[in-house]
Amino acid sequence: MSSSTLWKRIWKHKLFYLFMLPGIIWFFLFSYVPLYGIQVAFRDYTFVGGFTGSPWAGLKYFKQFFDYYQSTDIIRNTIIISLMKLIIGFPMPIILAILLNEIRNLKFKKTVQTLSYLPYFISWIVVVTLMQRLFATYGGPVNDLLSSMGVEPIQFLYNTSWFYEVIIGSDVWKNIGWNSIIYMAAIAGIDQQLYEAAKIDGAGRFRLIWHVTLPGIRNVAVILFILATGSLMSAGFEQLLLLNGPSTAAIGSVLDVHVITQGIQQGRLSYAAAVGLFQSLIALVLIVTVNRIARKVSDVSLF
Amino acid sequence: MRKKRFKLAASLMAFTLISGMLYGCSSSGSGDSADGGDKGADSKTVTLTVLNNWNGSSGSDSESNPVLKAIEEKTGIKVKIDYTKGSEAEKVNTIFATQDLPDIYTGPAWGGELDGIIKAAKEGQLVDLTDKIDQYPNLAKAIAKENVPPALYEKAIGGIDGKKYMMYQNQPATDKDVNDWLYGFYVRKDIADKIGVDPQSVKTKDDFYNFLKKIKDANLSENGAPVIPLGGFHDGWAVGIGNTMFYGADYQDKGDGTLEHVFFTKAYEDYTLYYRKLISEGLLDPDAFTQTDPIANEKIKQGRIAVLSAHYPAILDASKEYVKAHPGSDYVPVGPLERAGAEPNRPVDLNIQGNNVTVITKKAKNVDAALKLLDFLASDEGFMLVHYGIQGTQWDMVDGKPTAKQEWFDKFTADTTGKAKKNEGISIGLENMTGMDRINSVGGGDIWADQDRLKAMDNARKILRPNGISVISAFNPGDVITKSPQWETLKPSMDQINDVWKQAIFAKSDDAALKVINDLREQIKNTGYDDAMKYVNEELKGKEVVKLSMPN
Repeated sequence: MSSSTLWKRIWKHKLFYLFMLPGIIWFFLFSYVPLYGIQVAFRDYTFVGGFTGSPWAGLKYFKQFFDYYQSTDIIRNTIIISLMKLIIGFPMPIILAILLNEIRNLKFKKTVQTLSYLPYFISWIVVVTLMQRLFATYGGPVNDLLSSMGVEPIQFLYNTSWFYEVIIGSDVWKNIGWNSIIYMAAIAGIDQQLYEAAKIDGAGRFRLIWHVTLPGIRNVAVILFILATGSLMSAGFEQLLLLNGPSTAAIGSVLDVHVITQGIQQGRLSYAAAVGLFQSLIALVLIVTVNRIARKVSDVSLF
Repeated sequence: MRKKRFKLAASLMAFTLISGMLYGCSSSGSGDSADGGDKGADSKTVTLTVLNNWNGSSGSDSESNPVLKAIEEKTGIKVKIDYTKGSEAEKVNTIFATQDLPDIYTGPAWGGELDGIIKAAKEGQLVDLTDKIDQYPNLAKAIAKENVPPALYEKAIGGIDGKKYMMYQNQPATDKDVNDWLYGFYVRKDIADKIGVDPQSVKTKDDFYNFLKKIKDANLSENGAPVIPLGGFHDGWAVGIGNTMFYGADYQDKGDGTLEHVFFTKAYEDYTLYYRKLISEGLLDPDAFTQTDPIANEKIKQGRIAVLSAHYPAILDASKEYVKAHPGSDYVPVGPLERAGAEPNRPVDLNIQGNNVTVITKKAKNVDAALKLLDFLASDEGFMLVHYGIQGTQWDMVDGKPTAKQEWFDKFTADTTGKAKKNEGISIGLENMTGMDRINSVGGGDIWADQDRLKAMDNARKILRPNGISVISAFNPGDVITKSPQWETLKPSMDQINDVWKQAIFAKSDDAALKVINDLREQIKNTGYDDAMKYVNEELKGKEVVKLSMPN
């Protein structure tokens, strides 16, 4: 295709491109412009030299990270938590979207939908404060309810026995509604004739879901899954900063929090940049690999 | 053609809007501070920005207040103060990394905050005051060698690479100005009575454990919720101070005259396992290390903490409301508890020294104005103005001593938020820049403190300091090790000690706790500890070293 026809086509669809513009600007400013800062991972950052003028340090900070006695623990914790989030958290919005789609009472459906979005807009600090109140060992409503049923008070937060339940549960609760929107849209895009044809063939409700709805949203699900694998190396910074305490540090210390505490609190900017870069490189490898697998297995892929 | 022109105009407008928006994003918050020393509306007035880097500090409701006005009248300098909300060390690193600098920075004289300032000095971010400081007698006095603890003088205040950058504040000017915060364990009097234990009979670590156990076994409850035997404030402050029952100071004599960090000793293991026992037996609040101050205060206000660990003023503040509603439930001192390595009749060794450093950043256009302001604040006149307010309005000299005027005393006492004081310009962070602490030798003490509180403090002092106090003047190896060549690689591991201790006391078993400690020990060794300690021992040969130190 010659460049003139490409421009012609772009010009023809200029309105769509205009819609894309804010997104492009956002990515350019916040994802591409900061890329030049990566070099700081290979430099001894100084206030005077800044990103571009500090002396080169080679792979010193990468070595420091791998020499750090807890680096394998931190990587392991990150992968375990994000894998659990992926395996449990990924199907949840699909299930919610399908359930919502089956509701016939429009008013009820809209109410449930709106309520399920709401937690997404609450920041983690508020969510965690709410959780601290609700799950307080002494005086929290949940434990009050349990004790009225004769159950001994349970320390839910900052307790290794309940750590994963709390992390995954709160993550699902917060994101399920928002993540279901895209599936709702995909379901809405399924040709209604398919449902009618299946009904004529004698399909019941579950058959319709299995044979029409699920295949209809398969492509969207695969794309979102590929994207989700990209965040396997980040387990959720705010949530783990707040919900991980000294008692759960052995299973709750993750890369994202390590980067922030080392970089900003301890002022080791080059080290933090190196760890962050390592995190991103692994994420890139994961996305490319999963994308390839998806293309081979299902013909759906990002690129 | 018209349509084209319209389109062009529309695109231009859109472009202007977007770039305006982006520009707005990029320069937010740095407008004023960027060009310090800029002329205000009145061309003779200089405006200086100050960052008061103390977490949680705050100022008056409006930008101006009587004290700031008085300073402007005296010096011709308008002061604008910014406050830190959140980690101070983080703030230091952020302002230099983003170059969002104030004219004057003032903040903690220890830890990561001071390390950040030293790094900034080495990297040309601060104004070199070597040739100027002597022209300002009040500032020069506060950084004279005899007025600064020796290790801190060598590390920072006396000069970095031969140049002086820092001003130093709040070092007690005389013995009378020494401020003992009375750190310790304090028990609710009614609870001690209920379990029939005299708090002063609790002396050893076993006594203390049994005391907490008795409280737990009494199954006390308040509003249906059980009373927690031992608690503290935010992020575990300061439940760990029982360490002084196990070891005297952070660096110990190995027995052969050389020093080692206490983290490598048996005493540290005992201390850790003791606290692990407190946690696992439900004697220490498991939320103590993760809670925020509001939650801690709520527990205290509900009467749910039997023994509190912190400094006494914080405990008095937090328990004020509960005590008012439940007379006789005051928190009273436990002990005095045994001190490891100290004879019982030895005065309590306190590390009382200045807590604040002030520097002028390279962004300051008018360095002389900044020095003039700081010199005025450090003068006796400035000291009184900042601590007490306007003479003749809030206070007067009576028999040569500053005395609060009754109406203002009543007004400030009635206001539990402290806002009334701040709106007059008192306690807004300026007190961190008033040179040496002369609150008793020059001033008249805390003229705004109420009598009940002073009485409670006096009572606690009598119990906890039967032999008085002695201010530490020896070298602290913790300051010396930071100058060792290995410090860059060693620091990240040493910084973990506190976190690892917390992790260890929550471990499932004693063995697991010791493993957590041993793992970090190995890491510390691997990152150059032995060589760094060799350096410390070399440097401190023949010098007096801190062997005993109580929190303050």
